[in-house]
Amino acid sequence: MPWFLYLALKQLFPTGRRFPFFTAISVTGVALGVAVLVIVTSVMGGFGYEIRRMIVQTEGEVQVKANGLMEDPSAVLGMVRASPVAAGATPFVEGPVGAVCNGRPAYPEMRGIDVGSVASVANLARFVRAGRLEDLDDDSVILSWELAQRLGAGIGAEIEVYSPLLFERLKADEIVLPRRLRVAGLFEVGHQHLDSSVAYVTLRAAQELYGLGRAVHGINVRLKPEVGDAEGAQQLQAALPQGAVARPWTHKWESFLWVLNLEKTINFFLLLFIVVIAAFSVMSSLLISVVRKTREIGLLGALGASPRDVALCFCAQAFLIGTAGTAIGVGLGFTVLHFRNQLVQGIAGALQRQDTLRQFYHFTDLPSHTLPSDLILTVVLAILISTLAGLLPAWRAARLKPVEALRSE
Amino acid sequence: MSETVLSASGVRKSYPSGDRRIEVLCGADLRVAAGESVSIRGESGSGKSTLLNLLSGLDAPDSGEIRWDGLAPSAGRRARFLGMVFQSFYLIPELDALQNVLMAGRMLGSPGAESRARARDLLERVGLGGRASHLPAQLSGGERQRVAVARALMNSPSLLLADEPTGNLDERTGEAVIDLLLGLSRETGTALVLVTHNPAHAARTGRALTLHDGLLR
Repeated sequence: MPWFLYLALKQLFPTGRRFPFFTAISVTGVALGVAVLVIVTSVMGGFGYEIRRMIVQTEGEVQVKANGLMEDPSAVLGMVRASPVAAGATPFVEGPVGAVCNGRPAYPEMRGIDVGSVASVANLARFVRAGRLEDLDDDSVILSWELAQRLGAGIGAEIEVYSPLLFERLKADEIVLPRRLRVAGLFEVGHQHLDSSVAYVTLRAAQELYGLGRAVHGINVRLKPEVGDAEGAQQLQAALPQGAVARPWTHKWESFLWVLNLEKTINFFLLLFIVVIAAFSVMSSLLISVVRKTREIGLLGALGASPRDVALCFCAQAFLIGTAGTAIGVGLGFTVLHFRNQLVQGIAGALQRQDTLRQFYHFTDLPSHTLPSDLILTVVLAILISTLAGLLPAWRAARLKPVEALRSE
Repeated sequence: MSETVLSASGVRKSYPSGDRRIEVLCGADLRVAAGESVSIRGESGSGKSTLLNLLSGLDAPDSGEIRWDGLAPSAGRRARFLGMVFQSFYLIPELDALQNVLMAGRMLGSPGAESRARARDLLERVGLGGRASHLPAQLSGGERQRVAVARALMNSPSLLLADEPTGNLDERTGEAVIDLLLGLSRETGTALVLVTHNPAHAARTGRALTLHDGLLR
């Protein structure tokens, strides 16, 4: 080990005598900054990851749509299913409806699913909390949990459904009656949007409500596990007839994901300032150290150390503080992430605002997903900024003339 | 005559003082042979420490020439050629006695088992074999200076420069340190230049010089 690295280590962590106060303060500053960065980037990453999980598990990775209605879905379905990238495909109809139960109105998003093929794309059955997906027929509906609460509808209850088509007929002075559907099940995905405003009906029921005949709005596609979302959409597109478009799930959620990514970038940039401020603390500690150890720096010169090596000794101290702080910060960050739900529930519980949390952040649990690229960026930047903080003290130490340094009081 | 390890000829050094310059050394000459011990005495402010700084290459003369083994002094050669002992010991407080001695060796590269053995041996020779793991704060003044002597000898230098090494010690301890310096210098064949105020210490060296009016006599 070069002497400057050895001495840097010894000066930061002196052998078995006193608590290295300056080192501890500097390391703590960097550690807190890194921990906050790890937590925030992981939680922001968790939102994106959970959105993907929720969409992919309920709709598949790719959606095929026509320019308007897809009049002959079976032909397109055949092409999609024949594609080597597709693991499954199912047609769908979707749109807003009005629902009334016990005099309580709601305006959920209706999703018509093909009960026979939906399992090849989405494992909806795992989200059904009451009733069974198999019980869904043309006269029944499966409601999202919160929607059912709002309507006061339990299993077996009847709801009246009004589609936009009924309103069109009303304008033509036709007598229209709402469609009566029996509640066959309740589901909960864990995302506030889906759990509060979605109603599943059969494809045929949805086609009747919207007056589509045999047409559908599109086809949801599950890709094979080894195929990427964008790549799969691209390959499917090549196999589709003119007028049909295959788009990955990210397209539908593009604006949301963009905002999420922007928020994450801004948060990262702002929180990075904690590390920058910690770096100033490192710089301040090392500048004090240069003053306190002026005569030792002179001695090093007398022993044969070059100014460059003296500078490296202080840069090494900044690097070691940065490395130790980053390591502790990463550990602290992951520890907090591990107990994040208990912490958030504890805080929300103390403030009695659990519902607000759910309403605004959509998820029942605080999500977390750490991208390796985010972690690497945090670690590299934290160590780099800390090391840069050592440059000024290093420069000052290297500029000291041994003769004057030895003479200093 | 033995080989010359240190030579200084016509060395001049002055410092600014207000609007004039004070000439501290006015053409000092010195020649030290291998294994020789030389003392330099002089009044306070006579330029003894200035001369030692020039001889050690830590400072440059205004004019004149200094040679280490016939070559110009350089920071790169200092660790191998020169050992220095100071009045204020200058031990590194975070390192124990053994590591302080080894620090001089580290300047030449990572210390191996051989270097560690030498450092331990030097500590034994200065009478501190049992205190190798003690930090400077746990040692007395005399013991610290003995660690500094061991450190100065760590790289088997050709020349030992000692700047008032007994200045911070009581008479008895100072005597012991001078015994040690002269003994080890003789034993290892290392040339010694000893700057001292003490005439008794100066008298024990092979050659006693006095710095007066910027000249060595």
